[in-house]
Amino acid sequence: MDAPDGNLLTGEPFIEPTYVPSRLPSVYNPLHTFELPKGTERHYQQQFADMYFLRLAQLRDAVIRRAEEAWADFKLGDERAQMVDRVLDVRQGQLCWVVGTVYMEMGLKPNVLDDIAKEHWIAAPPARETYMSGTAKDEMMLEDESGRLRVTGESLNQHYVTGCVLAALGTEQADGTFQVIATQHADLPRQPQRYERDDSSLAVAQKPRLKREKAGKLAIVSGLGITGRDDQEIWLDLLSEYLTGEATGNPDQTNAAQISRLIIAGDSMLQSGPILSREEFLAKKSGKKHYGYDAGDYNALPTDRFDTFLTDLLPAIPITLLPGAADPANVALPQQPLHPALFPHSRAYANPPAESTETIEGLDSVTNPWEGDIDGWRVLATGGQTIDDLLKYVDKVNVMDVMESMLRWRSVAPTAPDTLWCYPFQDDDPLLVKDCPHIYIAGNQKRFQKRVIKGPVDQQVLLLAVPKFREKKVIVVVDMESMDVEIVKFRMRRPAKVAKAS
Amino acid sequence: MADSYQDFLAAKVLTDSRPVTYRLLSRAVKVNVNIAKQMLYEFYTKQNAKKPRSVHATFLITGRKPDLEHIDGDSNDINGKDGYDSFMISSPFMSSMPEPEESEEPDEPEEAPVLETCISLVPEEELDATKSEYEDITSMHIYSLEPGPIEDLNLLSVCNQDTAKEQAADDPLERWRLYGSIHNPYVKRRTTKATPVPSKTVARPPTKPVAKQAQGAPNVPGKAACARRGSASEDTGSGRSTPQPIPAGGTLKKSDSRSNMKKDKSDIFKSFAKAKPKQKEAAKSKDSTPAPPEDETMQGMSEDEGDGDDTPEVKFDEEKAAEARKARTDREEKLRKMMEEDPDEEMADAPPPDTESQEAAAKSPETDAPVTSQGGRRRGRRKVTKKKTVKDEDGYLVTKQEAVWESFSEDEPEPKKLKPAPKPASSTVKGKKTGKHGQGSIANFFKKT
Repeated sequence: MDAPDGNLLTGEPFIEPTYVPSRLPSVYNPLHTFELPKGTERHYQQQFADMYFLRLAQLRDAVIRRAEEAWADFKLGDERAQMVDRVLDVRQGQLCWVVGTVYMEMGLKPNVLDDIAKEHWIAAPPARETYMSGTAKDEMMLEDESGRLRVTGESLNQHYVTGCVLAALGTEQADGTFQVIATQHADLPRQPQRYERDDSSLAVAQKPRLKREKAGKLAIVSGLGITGRDDQEIWLDLLSEYLTGEATGNPDQTNAAQISRLIIAGDSMLQSGPILSREEFLAKKSGKKHYGYDAGDYNALPTDRFDTFLTDLLPAIPITLLPGAADPANVALPQQPLHPALFPHSRAYANPPAESTETIEGLDSVTNPWEGDIDGWRVLATGGQTIDDLLKYVDKVNVMDVMESMLRWRSVAPTAPDTLWCYPFQDDDPLLVKDCPHIYIAGNQKRFQKRVIKGPVDQQVLLLAVPKFREKKVIVVVDMESMDVEIVKFRMRRPAKVAKAS
Repeated sequence: MADSYQDFLAAKVLTDSRPVTYRLLSRAVKVNVNIAKQMLYEFYTKQNAKKPRSVHATFLITGRKPDLEHIDGDSNDINGKDGYDSFMISSPFMSSMPEPEESEEPDEPEEAPVLETCISLVPEEELDATKSEYEDITSMHIYSLEPGPIEDLNLLSVCNQDTAKEQAADDPLERWRLYGSIHNPYVKRRTTKATPVPSKTVARPPTKPVAKQAQGAPNVPGKAACARRGSASEDTGSGRSTPQPIPAGGTLKKSDSRSNMKKDKSDIFKSFAKAKPKQKEAAKSKDSTPAPPEDETMQGMSEDEGDGDDTPEVKFDEEKAAEARKARTDREEKLRKMMEEDPDEEMADAPPPDTESQEAAAKSPETDAPVTSQGGRRRGRRKVTKKKTVKDEDGYLVTKQEAVWESFSEDEPEPKKLKPAPKPASSTVKGKKTGKHGQGSIANFFKKT
């Protein structure tokens, strides 16, 4: 209590506020990996099969290299493991390894053929919490362009999900299944150096390297869940007052000034997605008949409140805004940036879309997933749908394990397009991880978690699971120099309840 | 300054019994937030010294706290239901799993503890208890003063709505200088031409109408009100000037009008009448939906717009936005009407024109083709009469005006259907109007354009 600057419980004479440093600059260089072609260039007629072939073709070499390293000298008895090119070329009894894409056949997994068969469904079935049926119905297969091979082995489904590409070593059994002994995956790709892109662009422009200041911190929040009703207002206020440095005293205000950028990782609004929930749908159906879109359904409150929130923050801190499953963006991955028309006030801090697709200082509305360089580090952020969906395939797996596996499989969304909506990419699959990020952020998780993983050639990745702010009232702050992680919690005591309890 | 804050606090907290946060105070007396926090404390101690318990305070404590969250969450209700936090417990997400006692997500064994900063909002009764939980308190101040204990701290957010109003006129990029929020020297703000109504009012509906009225009323005392009320009759006549006042009410009415319209047919016609001149104006400026630059100039001509304390520039935008919104709701209303009632009740006297007109009104904004044709029709109304092929469904050609209008519906085969439509639209308006006021005004109305 004796720190005069922190303790503001003093009366007259008033202490003049001590100096709070200005916000540190955020060296920001977004990538546009996940932006879809605009307007008429965007087509939805393509077959999704191409995505699997692309994925296999692009990852095949890396997987083969890894498998060769691992199994070159592998012998079982006298037999040396051979590589087989196609899954259908596997001969019974021969020790071999083969590369393919995993396909999981699971009892409860939604199946597009079922959907068509039950065309009379009006509302979608409730979202499944898991795809595992717990019966023998769950099978794993390995497929490539030639066909599918049924795969067995110890608890393989614990670790693999539809869509990941791997090499499997084993033999085909008498019943035609492939008994797996070991598997290999592509593992982390090359990781760019810090400031690699910034430096190379400088080099191209023949400018000298910059002397860079010490980087600040990166704050990440997700799942604001704004409804526009009064229930959560005070939390939003506290959050924005903290970030603008108005709340708290000088020491903490100085800390807050270190934060040089805020990432909002999805689900800023509670239920503003274009897909109705089951309840909403029923409620709507029971109402009057409507033809087509009913403009009366549109509720502007959440976006207006969110706009206000952003407008409060933006003069003080630049923001990178990712959409999430509950936001008014397209539902298929990669979700495209939230449209500036949703933010009539805060868009004053963004470049007009006609002029530029990115805003370095101010509001940058980006895709989900998104990647870019912040303070030189490659950051990959998602709204969390990819992880939620993957968790439905597996049992008792930590979110950190999931995130790690995704990077090691080099796929941001392995389960798309099987169980996750996805744009039918044709020529390239941006959802493959081509450059290993330094920080991998997943929004809207159950709780805060972090982990540092290492790759075969000294890649080092910080994995962060960011909880929903609406539930946990937590934001995550990463020091961009030391990669230290801290969290800021918001709490409140309720007088009435305590009075009752005592 | 020294006294003004005391007056302000006394008026707000003691007299009006409203909570005041440091933020609101800093905006009201225009001081740094950190001084405002001290002012709150000064006032708090002084008042309570004079008369104990006359003012209640809520504190904000920041610091480090040992991670007792999971215990706290269960044993006492520190966090209430919203802040309830069980960091360590993750609920099993599948109910049919046989072993529910096992945690679904195994905890990270190797996870190093992270630095946690905890910011707690605490009523004064709980201050000591909360303080004792902290290992290290880095800063502490009064968040707000209120006349008595408040049950729901969410009420404090009302103050921030007032804050937003107080600082609406300020340049957001200069805010840091005055109030001491963190200065971000890199931010850029472009001036959008179409900056709409201050968001605060939109975002928080409960306070908005009051605010709006408060702002609008004093400046244009009679005008806005009467113009709005009399819009059904006078709008048409006074074409240009009336739209100006409308927005003030237009935003106001937005929410009510929707519900009213459902019940009240007459309201729809009012809205028609109101929408009409606007459309005309729009047609004049060639854009049916307000395209910022052109519209702005249009608006700029009249200077009697009545909104409160904003800069003129913002005012125009506001009006424009309000008008646009108004037009949109009207359109929606018409659309809905059309869709909901296939058989037209109540309008027994002239049902087909009605639906037709609505259709036309509805269609015009929808696709480009009608719009352009409409625009052409509108402007060239007198000139365009080229060919005369009157091939319409006769049911629609009931009123006498139509005979006049039919002449143009020529140029394209497709728009034919549309062309008659505008007339009925006018005719219905007229019909209604005549019922109320007589025809002269409507004639004026058309001549004007």
